[in-house]
Amino acid sequence: MRVVIIGASFAGVAAAFEVRHIHPDAEILLLEKQDTLGYIPSGLHLYWDKKISDLDEARFVTEGQLDKHGIVYHLNATVQKVNTTQKIITYDQHDLSDQLSYDKLIIAAGSRQLSEKITGSAQESVLKYKRYDEAQAALIKVEESEHITIIGGGQVGVEAADLLTTMEKQVTLVESMDYVLFKYLDEDMIKPIEKNMTEKGVDLRMRQTVSSVEMESDQKVTVCLGEGSVTSDAVIMGVNVRPHLPFLDETIKQHTDQTIAVDRYLRTSVEDVFAVGDCIQLSGPGEDRVYVPLINNAVRTGIVAAANLIEPSRTFKGSLRTIGTRVFGKYIASTGMTEAESLFTDRTVESHRQEVRLTSLADSDTVTLKYVYDAKTHELLGAQMISDANILEKINVLALAIQSKQTLEDLQQTDYFFNPAYSQMTATTNLIAWMDERADEDEN
Amino acid sequence: MKIEHFLEKNEVREITIFNQLVLNGGTLSYGKMLNHLGVSKASLENDLSSIAVRIEGFDQKVQLQYDGQTIGLSMSDDLSLQQIYRLYLDQSIKLQIITFLFKHQEFSITQLTQKLAISESSLFRKIKELNSHLKEFGIKIRNGQMQGEELQIRYFYFQFYCYIENKVTFLAEHPNDRLTQMIDAMEKFLNVTITPENRERLTIWLIISNARVSIIDKQAKRLRTQMKAYRKDPFFHKIQVFVLRYFSRYSIEVDEVESMIHFAFLLAFPVLTEPDFHEYRLLRDRHAPIASMDTLIAETIINHFKYRRLPYMLERDMSYHLTHIHTRLYFFQGDIEIYEYEGIIAKEKQIVGTNVVSFARTLLKTSTKTLADKTGENNSLLKMELLKYISLLVLITFKMASVIQVGIDLKMDGLYKETLGELLILKLKPIKGVRVEHYDPTKIYDLVLTNEEPKDQANYDDARIYILSEILSSFDMVNIQRIIQELNK
Repeated sequence: MRVVIIGASFAGVAAAFEVRHIHPDAEILLLEKQDTLGYIPSGLHLYWDKKISDLDEARFVTEGQLDKHGIVYHLNATVQKVNTTQKIITYDQHDLSDQLSYDKLIIAAGSRQLSEKITGSAQESVLKYKRYDEAQAALIKVEESEHITIIGGGQVGVEAADLLTTMEKQVTLVESMDYVLFKYLDEDMIKPIEKNMTEKGVDLRMRQTVSSVEMESDQKVTVCLGEGSVTSDAVIMGVNVRPHLPFLDETIKQHTDQTIAVDRYLRTSVEDVFAVGDCIQLSGPGEDRVYVPLINNAVRTGIVAAANLIEPSRTFKGSLRTIGTRVFGKYIASTGMTEAESLFTDRTVESHRQEVRLTSLADSDTVTLKYVYDAKTHELLGAQMISDANILEKINVLALAIQSKQTLEDLQQTDYFFNPAYSQMTATTNLIAWMDERADEDEN
Repeated sequence: MKIEHFLEKNEVREITIFNQLVLNGGTLSYGKMLNHLGVSKASLENDLSSIAVRIEGFDQKVQLQYDGQTIGLSMSDDLSLQQIYRLYLDQSIKLQIITFLFKHQEFSITQLTQKLAISESSLFRKIKELNSHLKEFGIKIRNGQMQGEELQIRYFYFQFYCYIENKVTFLAEHPNDRLTQMIDAMEKFLNVTITPENRERLTIWLIISNARVSIIDKQAKRLRTQMKAYRKDPFFHKIQVFVLRYFSRYSIEVDEVESMIHFAFLLAFPVLTEPDFHEYRLLRDRHAPIASMDTLIAETIINHFKYRRLPYMLERDMSYHLTHIHTRLYFFQGDIEIYEYEGIIAKEKQIVGTNVVSFARTLLKTSTKTLADKTGENNSLLKMELLKYISLLVLITFKMASVIQVGIDLKMDGLYKETLGELLILKLKPIKGVRVEHYDPTKIYDLVLTNEEPKDQANYDDARIYILSEILSSFDMVNIQRIIQELNK
């Protein structure tokens, strides 16, 4: 059996390893557009954060690991056409066109960070750095820039703003919504971050949509907004990513948002063709299908698709959109439904925000938690955290609780260790009214 | 643009035949029909046989009899002229071109000639004809695409799917789950109630919008300029937040134009209920173009009728309708004439008088002068908005027409009193806006007619008194009418 996987990023590589695990005799071929293997899309942030000393260190997989598992890979291979009737893939490699047949095909082509609405955003001076070569170029450009404009206040944009301000760059951040990180946090939770951003000198332009990016004669770049404009030395695109799948043939059904339609087993409308990662919609926190391009989803979908190659055996459990990061001196994490997003569910939702101490000691740090839950059943639907201390791992506890449909009362019964130096009377992730440092009952 | 613009000349004639028969009680002589159509008898015969073939599908539910002298139409009770229109429209090539264009957004000539089984030249001719009517919408079919401002394109499709294409089929063809979720969420987020009728309208709009949301290079220069006055509008802001949040759930990039388009639509068409709209009215900038035009026109109406003020709820209602009219005039171009404009104007004139119609024209002139540079008698949008002004004026007149209570208090012998009183009542009844009855001392009257000077004026409270000189004389009648008019003001 020959399994061809288009795309050797997280989804493709995870699928390849899982296929190897399940089918020791399968021939596995990875086709990767880039000329490097396994680059971590946020590698540049790791570099700026001094977590790595060279961009080359930002790798999640090496050639050696693939070789060891007998996974063949073609770098620099751009797929031109997929013919699902004849099961043939046409691709270009080093300016030569070649063809490849498959028995099973997994499309893990990922996404790209490109705007079709912002005129001029495709030009090179507008930095995107999901790919290794782009990151190298961005690294140089940012080093020689004083003032940088970031378009988009999502995770990429806010992280970049943080790192660049630390590097003493002047930063302007443009966001079309009322507040940054709106997909993950509610407005009431984001206030400390925005406060820190302003204090650190970030020029926040909320409720502003970018219409175009124009090059000036003096190498400067102007970002035109609905009202006014910003001229700076460089521009970083932090907008949402989207799949780019020009090679699909018409038989593979796509949604209106250009994602590939898949069933619970990640099968496309064509037999023996699967799609994973940033190419598909997933069952989201509200249990309806949404687009959640996160690496954890890419990996998990890759594994599930691999398990279903021969026959449908494992369904994909969906995504809670779990994230965790540190920006502007705060650790933030989120999983499941936000209160703002509960708009799209039929359930009646309530929320509760509380600030609790992390340990029993006098100098304990605190964490602000927000719980979003079903008003009737008390089933936990979402959680958000913000703290000066590293509480990131705790979000996974709540993600698991949501996935296993636990209620707030169930959570109180969970058996956690107690050690006064490391914990409180009750676990941090329990919603217990009398533990509130500052009870802040929501109005809903 | 008119519905008939989707039909061929002979089809329009055939529809006219049906129309004439319905207007004339189901039968009409050949002579009268020929006169109306302005065609030869042979051509009429042709049309009639063509109709006969077409209605075969109705299985005897529609029958047309003609014998060279008279034409007769009979239809079963569950069938109306609407279904006959539908029959013709369903076969219309032009309609199929628009539907195809909506579904595929782009076409090649070969693709379309094959699909419609027509020659290239006749396809070009039909596109050319369509373009001549699409002109008033500011859009055109070119290079296999619908071109023009995005708001105008969606608006045209909206009118098209509401009034030309089969709405029921259109709604059934588009799965509803996500739309229902979207509308429910919208309702929650905007804190409004969307009634079933408005929901259907909004559903059609959203099907069209969602089908076009991913199109790159949308034109919105005009809309962006128009929206300058509304950047800070609280309703626009809410829509913007909603649109961004909704589409952030999908791999769809939206810019602010998407929110602008929805803003214009939601204010121009009845989607919000009056109470919800009123909430917005309290918050909106009163100096923005639409709001200030609402005020100007409302004041003009109140002055015209010499009202001091309108009852609170009527004033709110008027403002609600005026905003729809003015939003359409401000943002939109073109319209599909769903009502027979000339016919309605003629009928309105008969019922409400020429004054109302000409006053409505003055209002339209005032509003278009400021809101939009749209001239020309043939602009369907202006025609339709004129009809709306007229309807609004009629509504206000009806609601404001106070009924004048007239009491007849004749001082004479019982029998005469009774008889002459009845005769007077009979004579006064046809006057608009009066209620006449024998005087009842327990009731309050605006006018009391008597034949003797009252001994004590206070008996009649504040009622005006007219003393008849000669009961039933034309002299008295003229005076009474004058008084009633005075009281009416």
